[in-house]
Amino acid sequence: MAAALLLAGVSPGMAQESVAVRAPMVKGTLPLDDPNAAVWSSATAATFPMSPQVHWQNRIQEVTVKELKVSALHDGTQLAVLLEYADPSEDPDDAAALEFMVGDKKAHFAHGQPMAQVEGGPVNIWYWKNKDGKGVDMNAKGFGTLKTQTHQDVKAKGVYANGTWKVVFSRPLITEHTEEDTQIVPGGFINIAFAVWDGKRDATSGDLREKGSQKAVSSWWYFRAEAPPDYSGYYYAALAVALAFGFQFVLIRKLRKGQGA
Amino acid sequence: MGGSLLKPVILVGIVYLILKFVVPNIPGSAPLPSSLIFLYLMLTTTGIVIFATLSGESKDAFWNPIQRFLTGENIGGLQMLRYAVLILFPVLVGWQTYGSTATSDAPPAENRTIHPAPPGEYTGLSNPVSKSPENIMQGKGFYAAFCSPCHGGNFDGKGPAARGFSPPPANFSDPTTIAMLQESYLFWRIKKGGVGLPIEGMPWKSAMPRWEVELPDEWIWKIILGEYDGAHQSPRTWE
Repeated sequence: MAAALLLAGVSPGMAQESVAVRAPMVKGTLPLDDPNAAVWSSATAATFPMSPQVHWQNRIQEVTVKELKVSALHDGTQLAVLLEYADPSEDPDDAAALEFMVGDKKAHFAHGQPMAQVEGGPVNIWYWKNKDGKGVDMNAKGFGTLKTQTHQDVKAKGVYANGTWKVVFSRPLITEHTEEDTQIVPGGFINIAFAVWDGKRDATSGDLREKGSQKAVSSWWYFRAEAPPDYSGYYYAALAVALAFGFQFVLIRKLRKGQGA
Repeated sequence: MGGSLLKPVILVGIVYLILKFVVPNIPGSAPLPSSLIFLYLMLTTTGIVIFATLSGESKDAFWNPIQRFLTGENIGGLQMLRYAVLILFPVLVGWQTYGSTATSDAPPAENRTIHPAPPGEYTGLSNPVSKSPENIMQGKGFYAAFCSPCHGGNFDGKGPAARGFSPPPANFSDPTTIAMLQESYLFWRIKKGGVGLPIEGMPWKSAMPRWEVELPDEWIWKIILGEYDGAHQSPRTWE
């Protein structure tokens, strides 16, 4: 019967798949400026599909970047996120961005635009453009509200080689500006979204093919900075095993006494 | 040991096998959740214990072998099984404790309601555009221009822009989407888009545009005609 109960108790789990970026905690300095550092191999990369931005005007029907590889690391105070994606040419206007929600309110992935029945919050956007060579910390709450923060905490560095962009974004996990910056507490899941612009110019018109709202985007996925390992589950299990043994011991002793009497 | 203890064990085993493998194969049935199977097995076990302890005689016949097995007196070849049970029970308790106290490594579960209730003013509206071949054709043209990049030229939710979005765009050829809904529901969803959803619909994740900003109502009603025709579905009606 124990076996039958055991089998019945093993649930197959919900099959729903949720992809998350997981940043393991590492010792030593983080490779904030080096997307090719060996320590990146200690992070497991997650791959996300990208869509042309069709949610609002101006739309785009076709984009260069269709897939984005994301890895992340943290050291308890700093976070580093590495984006990797194929782009056939290096252009001054090539750009990439990360997006997070700020505070407790949910925010729409399209720049935190207002929702009809839900009070939404702002989004925090970390932006990098090749020709600027730096990270920009921004906020938005609806279309046309994108604003660069007065205090810049985000750093970014891009390296292009062999048809691939590798861009590292970094920031302290926690900042003082809780109204504007996403706060990253190890162990907790937060939402993350991505955007990429191929800065190539059209051969005939000279216009940028991807700019502004004409970009490759993702909707919300999950992100977590991993907490230091928690062994409390093992302690509780060991205590339960000891109690169960003790219960058996007392029970059998009692039964034996009863039989002897 | 005696047959009095063997029979209940076999009975519980048979009940488990029926619940696990026979019930799901009955037409119209589905696999039972493990918590329900556990509940049924507990009920069966309780029934057996009550039945076995109805009279003093049957009570002794039921409990004595259990007592003898636990104390290990005169059970001969079953001694090894006794040790196995005495070790497995604490291990099982420890495993269950670990399972219920260990912190979860999975992202938060998302219970998104796929077709949440529309606001009152969007229930029961009828399509003001007549279902003529011209209107259907025009609707399909609008669909191709505005909707097909995500919802697909084949109305299957597999348009070229669909892949990055989660939740994915609705597949209209699936009988659980527009075939279950009224035209007025589609009118609401197209007009107000993802941001018009209530909280249980998780509006912050939807890439559906708010088409009221760009398209006149008449075009939206025509798109609805084109969608149903193209996906070979009919709107839900209340007889």
